[in-house]
Amino acid sequence: MVLKVFFPQCCNRADSGLLVGRWIPGHDSAVVLAVIHYPFIPGQVKQYIQQMQAQSQVELSVLGSWSLPKEGQESMESFLRDLSTIFPKGRWLQISRQMGKMGFTCHIVNRDQSKICTEEEEERVIFVHYDQRKVMLSQLHPAQSGIHEPQSDAPSELRQMFQTVAHSEPLFFLDRYDDGPLKSTHWQSEGREASIIVELLKQASVPLCLLVSWLLSVWTWICNLCVYPVRFLSTKLSTCIQLSYRTEHMTTLSSPNPAATHTHFMRKANILVSFMVDVALGMLLISWLYRDNRITVVANTLVPAADHVAKELDKLLQWLMGAPAGLKMNRALDQVLGRFFLYHIHLWISYIHLMSPFIERILWYGGLSACLGLTFALSLLSDMVALLTFHIYCFYVYGARLYCLKIYGLSSLWRLFRGKKWNVLRQRVDSCSYDLDQLFIGTLLFTILLFLLPTTALYYLVFTLLRLVVVLFQGILHLSVDFINSFPLFAMGLRICRPYRLAGTHYHMDTTVCLSV
Amino acid sequence: MGPDSAPGPAVPWQKILWERQPFPDNYVDQRFLEELRRNEGIRQYRYWAMVKEAGLVGQQLSCVAIFITLWLYMEQSLLSPETLLWTSLLCALLGYGLYQALSSPAEPGCEPRTRLADLQSATIFLSFTFGFSPVLKTLTESVSTDTVYAMSALMLLAHLVSFPYAQPFPPGSLSLNAALFASVCLASRLPGALHTFAMLSCALLVFALWPCLLHRIKENASSQFAGVCVGVCIGGVVGLGSQWLGGAVLLALALGSVTLLCPLLLIRLQRHKDNIHGPWDEAEIQEDLGRFLHHQTG
Repeated sequence: MVLKVFFPQCCNRADSGLLVGRWIPGHDSAVVLAVIHYPFIPGQVKQYIQQMQAQSQVELSVLGSWSLPKEGQESMESFLRDLSTIFPKGRWLQISRQMGKMGFTCHIVNRDQSKICTEEEEERVIFVHYDQRKVMLSQLHPAQSGIHEPQSDAPSELRQMFQTVAHSEPLFFLDRYDDGPLKSTHWQSEGREASIIVELLKQASVPLCLLVSWLLSVWTWICNLCVYPVRFLSTKLSTCIQLSYRTEHMTTLSSPNPAATHTHFMRKANILVSFMVDVALGMLLISWLYRDNRITVVANTLVPAADHVAKELDKLLQWLMGAPAGLKMNRALDQVLGRFFLYHIHLWISYIHLMSPFIERILWYGGLSACLGLTFALSLLSDMVALLTFHIYCFYVYGARLYCLKIYGLSSLWRLFRGKKWNVLRQRVDSCSYDLDQLFIGTLLFTILLFLLPTTALYYLVFTLLRLVVVLFQGILHLSVDFINSFPLFAMGLRICRPYRLAGTHYHMDTTVCLSV
Repeated sequence: MGPDSAPGPAVPWQKILWERQPFPDNYVDQRFLEELRRNEGIRQYRYWAMVKEAGLVGQQLSCVAIFITLWLYMEQSLLSPETLLWTSLLCALLGYGLYQALSSPAEPGCEPRTRLADLQSATIFLSFTFGFSPVLKTLTESVSTDTVYAMSALMLLAHLVSFPYAQPFPPGSLSLNAALFASVCLASRLPGALHTFAMLSCALLVFALWPCLLHRIKENASSQFAGVCVGVCIGGVVGLGSQWLGGAVLLALALGSVTLLCPLLLIRLQRHKDNIHGPWDEAEIQEDLGRFLHHQTG
């Protein structure tokens, strides 16, 4: 017969006293939960244990005694043995430890039989040291709230032990620093100050949540007032998208009811941590940006940069209007397209120069958005890049539209060239006999389009590449924003610092990374 | 024992599969070759009739030659575009008159084109060609001349190959388009926009309208058809000869072989034709089977 004793590590150095715990029914094992120190009045202990039992629905009892005699104290062997008569129970454990020695000694006093067997059983006790904090928080065998599954009528020993620890939370409110008649040692005895702070924060978060949710409701009300053009614009600007994303996050955070499941809790914690990190990074950015007149420097370099880009584009267009890479371009169309685009660049540059007095102020106020987080600053940067490279976007759209028209026309005229047509009803190519004038005009247009195709295709290609560069830059910005928004930082930290907290959960990372073009 | 020698039992062989017979599966009896038919539906060609038909091919070849000749003249500025335009207009009017004169009395069910529709088509042709001629002029500027020539030659060849010689009246899309493409390519090499316009109008006349007129002549005045073909052929050879003697000789040889030699060859080879039909042919579904089915369902 082997007796298992689950002993909390935090009680290894506790002062002598009574072991409070539970005998696991059906198994020959005991879970030690806490140590109640001397001096105590037995009646109060019994009363306290009954009270705890009522609160936690766990059959708590006094398991035995614990002695760790300090230097100079004589052992209280006989006193401890007498204690067993005060707390009548089937078995009485006497666990003792000598200061400076590694091992524990355990005597088992069986009250039903005589004390004879104690010496023999001594070797068959297995001590299982467990970390009470980890067992409490790892949710490996989560405590079902009230609902017992019918099929698990005989839960395993380990599961029962885990549930015992998890259920006896009220026991851990009592402490050795309390002024009451009883003092005890368990995992909460260490780091009490931190738990006080946590409690205070929990209390303080309630009005904060209420305030935030009120602000959010006002904000969503304002958002719902928006008329069509504003709403359309807000789906295009990444700052607005980021704003709505954050609003959603804050709504999740500020909901008054606590997280129901562990996953839900982790999600909330992740959001909170990523928000904090975001704001911290934003503050760093602000502290860097608003020192030494850096805003002015940036604003002063922005206009020359735009000028430079325009000059490069100008050069590119001039090159395209010549004979680029020895390609056979149609000179007339080339000239027309080139002049059109040049005029567009000219318009754009004059617009930027018109804007240049205000750019510094815009940057100054825009930089303030970093208070809301680095992601806002990045989104704003992305929007500004989109606005500053609007001419490239326009070029791309013109080129693509022209190219699309040409390809569409060529494909349908090629069918005419072969004497076929597209049958819309049957969704196939049928043969068709055209009139003479249809054939004539069709062929004329086909020839013209065919010979003009290389020119249009080249313009399309060049402007698509330009657009791609801009989109790539914006994509990197959006990627970093999404990374900050949805990286599970809290879970990562927990994985590194306290991996046992994640033991029982299947945590799904829901990251949404979208690269919008 | 071979399948052909059949002493066998007294039971006569039947050509059926649904009854068990004491013969091997590949057995046939003496009557097998009685059903052999040779050269079924063969046509006996007459030489001159074939020459007349081949004249259509020859005259189309000559038409291409005439067009090339005109282009050569235009390119060397030996022919002014005004002259070509006026001549084309005159030819078109004459041809239109002839076309109207040769129109068949009345075809039931087919509405004849009105004068207004013809005028409309002509307006469309002229206005589009005139409007696009400056564009067409600059179209192939940057393409090298060799490429343009190669493309035109290829397209004219495609025109000759895909021309619907059997049924020329609704003009074949591919042949007409190829010819127009080639003429646009060639016309864009000419010095001015008016040249381009004249050349394209000429191309329209030669490749689009002339086959219609020729078809009408062949149908309603078949006695004149041979004369017209000979005239066109002579015109093509003489025209090309005035610019490029070697080309004219080649054209004459080609015309001779197409119109005179090829029919002769066909008739000579027809003698060697040995086409056999018999019970081994694939079954052909008769037309009346469909009617029979309709009758069954109906």
